[in-house]
Amino acid sequence: MSIPAIAVTGLHKSFGANAVLRGIDLKAQDGDVISLIGASGSGKSTFLRCIPMLEVPDSGIVAVGEHVIEPRSGILTRRDKITARTIRSELGFVFQSFNLWPHRTVLENVIEAPIHVQGRPRAECVEEAEALLDKVGLSDKRDAWPVHLSGGQQQRVAIARALAQHPRALLFDEPTSALDPELVGEVLKVIRSLAEEGRTMLIVTHEMGFAREVSSRTVFLHQGRIEEDGHPDQVFGNPVSDRCRAFVSGHFQRNR
Amino acid sequence: MDTEFLSGIFLKLLTGLPLTLNLTALSLLFGGLLALVLNLMRASRVGNALASTYVFVFRGTPLLIQIFMIYYGLASFDAVRSGFLWPFLREPYWCGLLALALNDAAYTSEILRGGLRAVPQGAVEAGRVSGMGRTLVLRRIVLPLAIRQALPAYSNEVISMLKATALVSTITLLDVTGLARAEVSATYRAVEIFLCAAVIYLALSLLVTRGAGWLERRLSPYKFGVSA
Repeated sequence: MSIPAIAVTGLHKSFGANAVLRGIDLKAQDGDVISLIGASGSGKSTFLRCIPMLEVPDSGIVAVGEHVIEPRSGILTRRDKITARTIRSELGFVFQSFNLWPHRTVLENVIEAPIHVQGRPRAECVEEAEALLDKVGLSDKRDAWPVHLSGGQQQRVAIARALAQHPRALLFDEPTSALDPELVGEVLKVIRSLAEEGRTMLIVTHEMGFAREVSSRTVFLHQGRIEEDGHPDQVFGNPVSDRCRAFVSGHFQRNR
Repeated sequence: MDTEFLSGIFLKLLTGLPLTLNLTALSLLFGGLLALVLNLMRASRVGNALASTYVFVFRGTPLLIQIFMIYYGLASFDAVRSGFLWPFLREPYWCGLLALALNDAAYTSEILRGGLRAVPQGAVEAGRVSGMGRTLVLRRIVLPLAIRQALPAYSNEVISMLKATALVSTITLLDVTGLARAEVSATYRAVEIFLCAAVIYLALSLLVTRGAGWLERRLSPYKFGVSA
């Protein structure tokens, strides 16, 4: 097999006395769509944030393509920090709370990193950004300000912004959790179309139906460990772990 | 009302305007730069303590005393008189500018600090995660947002500095107020003369207010319900 898009080995992370991640191993090949599920506090968001070093793991190895970081006791060396920046520009990260830059228009949000981080020519970036906005259904909002958009629209801009970096993989941290229920669908639709394109994605989500339908693999986290890892039909339909069974059945009962 | 006298005085006081504007602009410039440095210092614990002390001292004492300490006080030290800065420090202009800039830095650093604290953490994370280094995040995200946030409070500081330059008239400088005082001691017509001076400051304040409003609308049109 070729080098995985993302490979995480033995990841540990504590906040004070609270051990959030207790040895996580996960490999994502190019084209994998992996959904990460689990109760609040199971560590799934922290795990996702550790990949671009938004949280620095206490120990373990994070590799994105051929770029590898192995933090020692939660500290990054100068070389690690440079690698971290490379890793970040190879990933697209979508936050729960969108985190658009409020002082820039929609288009400016999308072209910011391609121009100022990747140093690509402005005209090319604008043209591409317009195509991306069209793809997420927001070409008419090109010159709007983020505060004037609905949550669903802001999140779709955030997805376009992530795509503009030409990422090798996309990371979604509960992309629909901050949205009003009627706006969830429009964002899931965009993510679904990205899955169909064959994009590599890691999606932390509470949308179980969506996870089951879209992902090629589902990982269930419990207390900082991977408890179940397999095809969504197996994880949702016939889980090995009792905790996973309880979690999944609880979820589908509630949403029935 | 003696309009001829008034217009004569008015024109005379206007010759002090360049100095008033010069002191305002330069003290805001140097004070602003120092304020930025003070805020960057706050990243470390020692730096934070130093910056807090600085603000405490310069905000907690009268500007007039700071001007006197620099103009009269420094000259009493031999080391200063024989130092390489003496050609500057014996000039009332440089002493006045120094005091104004140091004082402005204390206030501006607090205004900027408020602006920096209001920058949403999510916007910073979005910058970092897109591969920006610290400087780029500071330049493209943090400072632009902090400045937009701080602008209304800062326009107060600009007006406040504009009026504070009047205090340099106490160390022989002939700014608008300095000229007014000289005219008063020559003619004893205090009311008319000071009124003329006040009108000049009032007009400048109006310009600053309008200018700040314009800048705010230009930088943050999204806060005014205007689409781009």
